[in-house]
Amino acid sequence: MAKRPEPQQATIEKMRRYVEKYWEKSGTVGHPDAEVTKAVVLGLAANTEECGRPLCPCNFYPDKEAELREHGRRWICACDEMKQWKYCHCLLFVTPEGMPITEYLPEDHEGRQVYGVVKDPTPDKGRESRDLAK
Amino acid sequence: MASHNVFEFTDDNWDSEVAKSAVPVVVDFWAPWCGPCRALSPIIERIATQFAGRVKVGKLNVDDAQEVATKYGVTSIPRVFIFKGSDRPEKAFVGLTSESELVKSINTVLGA
Repeated sequence: MAKRPEPQQATIEKMRRYVEKYWEKSGTVGHPDAEVTKAVVLGLAANTEECGRPLCPCNFYPDKEAELREHGRRWICACDEMKQWKYCHCLLFVTPEGMPITEYLPEDHEGRQVYGVVKDPTPDKGRESRDLAK
Repeated sequence: MASHNVFEFTDDNWDSEVAKSAVPVVVDFWAPWCGPCRALSPIIERIATQFAGRVKVGKLNVDDAQEVATKYGVTSIPRVFIFKGSDRPEKAFVGLTSESELVKSINTVLGA
């Protein structure tokens, strides 16, 4: 497969602004390793240009159009997991220590298996879809 | 830049380099614009150096090797599988797995 094209600077900047706003809204911060954030923002911008929506770049989709058609906004940033459980497996929205928040996840969720229980340092912010959390 | 000990697995070389490998194989399923994949990368490189000659360690770009990624039901990445002489993984790890956890599992597979 040909190398994916780099997204345009304007799209990258748009995603960067969105991410900064969502850090504030959710009470999270960027990863201490700035390269992690940079990579994810590039991925979101690339997916926006490819399929019209900022699909999470930390998933594999055999067919991105089918993913959007069949599952709607599930993995559109900020994804359902972030809005319900404040968990970002892409490490875009994390604690100051660079950890994804896992305390609201179901115990059998892979995030709990990988990171254990990571407490939310700002429980008064984010989780705008908490009512939908199963 | 990847270490010279780190292999690049693809749809085309999967059978010969992984499924039919004479030594255990560690495969890191990743993508270039995945943040935690980047964070895992230096761990994979250190493991490749540590186990050089005893274990084959490599990366598989899911954007390129879609056939293999689909076959193994890969969803979230990074994801690390350890194979030993077949195309069925002996161990599987999801997310940013720690170096100590990977080393422990590789040693278990080597000793089994």
